[in-house]
Amino acid sequence: MACTVRVASPLRSYTAGAASVDAVGHDIAAVLADLDTNYRGIRFRMIDEHDRIRPHIRLYVNHDAVTSLQQAVHPGDTLHLICALSGG
Amino acid sequence: MAMTATEKQRYARHLSLAEIGAAGQSRLKNSKVVVIGAGGLGSPSALYLAAAGVGKLALVDYDVVDLSNLQRQVLFTNADVAQSKVAAAAKRLAALNPDIEVVAHDLQLTADNILDTLREYDVVIDGTDRVSTRYLINDACVILGKPLVSAAIHRFEGQALTYLPERGPCYRCLFPNAKDGQVPNCADAGVLGVLPGVMGSIQATEAIKLILGIGELLTGRLLTYDALTTRFDEFTVARRTDCAVCGEHPTILTPQDAVPKSKTTAAQRALISHSTPRQLQLRLESAAESTTPILLVDVREPHEFERGHLAGCVNVPIGELAARMDELVASLSGSSRGRSSRPDVVFVCRSGGRSLQACEMAVGARLTAVPINLDGGLLAWARDVDPEFVVAPV
Repeated sequence: MACTVRVASPLRSYTAGAASVDAVGHDIAAVLADLDTNYRGIRFRMIDEHDRIRPHIRLYVNHDAVTSLQQAVHPGDTLHLICALSGG
Repeated sequence: MAMTATEKQRYARHLSLAEIGAAGQSRLKNSKVVVIGAGGLGSPSALYLAAAGVGKLALVDYDVVDLSNLQRQVLFTNADVAQSKVAAAAKRLAALNPDIEVVAHDLQLTADNILDTLREYDVVIDGTDRVSTRYLINDACVILGKPLVSAAIHRFEGQALTYLPERGPCYRCLFPNAKDGQVPNCADAGVLGVLPGVMGSIQATEAIKLILGIGELLTGRLLTYDALTTRFDEFTVARRTDCAVCGEHPTILTPQDAVPKSKTTAAQRALISHSTPRQLQLRLESAAESTTPILLVDVREPHEFERGHLAGCVNVPIGELAARMDELVASLSGSSRGRSSRPDVVFVCRSGGRSLQACEMAVGARLTAVPINLDGGLLAWARDVDPEFVVAPV
């Protein structure tokens, strides 16, 4: 199932600068795995060794916060990768 | 108090708005707002708040104006370079609106002074450039029960969120525990000059609405703006019952400095050595023959380390260094065995800032080694020694 992934600015070094990319998967874990296949290393920036979302990262499907990597993703959904910023 | 003729003329466009009018303008005049960080975000927010007639407007910063600031920090001009930011800003704001009181706090906020600094203000605006300072400000606002309008920027992207005491999530509810090294800032990554103009203006708008009690605030809503694609998005942020500062059982009851303040004196700082990339290269090439052992410590975050590091480096992220100093001592004991001199410990990071902080911590911890900073960091290494070396973005 294809979805759109909106990539936060600090993570775009992995996607060759692309703000939006496609990925497939039936849940968040699968989508992130697919993303990592195409953009090596991007998953580890967001998910730690214990499969927890890192504390400076928020994931949203459409406008709903992701709390579990097992959360379902449906065709046409948009996964937003949000990263804490600190610039002022 | 009735408005003067000059005030009626100055605020005529506000007075025409039913949502503001004379009563609203009076509320603005009686309000006190503090803007923390006289930078890219603080510039437009302070200018608009002064123009709007906020009666008492304070600025907090401890830096001086640099030429590289002028690309986005519209409070300043060429003539202000090398001047105190808050002093130059106060002069500019007073010139814009002589009817308001402008206060310049030329200081670095710490756990010791933040409560007293913020206490008298009605609204706090965060335009700082370090995540640890953002937590310090957030925690102080929660403890004091002050509304906080936060924004942050990076390259072409901005974020904004407004905290209302007891009525919405705080910054820690959004990002519970980010570390400085994990979160990029503009100095490392660059920023489109006009971007803080957009986000700082949103902060000023939020503060004015808050004072006036009109409209809908960004409370519980994270606003993001992508200047490259001209997209605004918003995401719901819920209050966390387990939030360390605003949750049901808070563990943060007083403001805390994220990294303990350096206790190093000038004399101790003189114990830190500095190395250029070429000097380090020569030192590493001769390490086998040297009587002085060397330990390389990369204080970047693991994701940066993974994408490329110097051979033989150990990775101790700056946020873990204090707790892992014993580990370094053990490594140094091992590497000095059979050698006659005290070992050298070289701290490296991306651009030389975090590693210098590590050197100060090593001196403060009385590490039995000579702490050496790789000046300019791995970016300088890639520029001067190894153009193939990959320096990961933060």
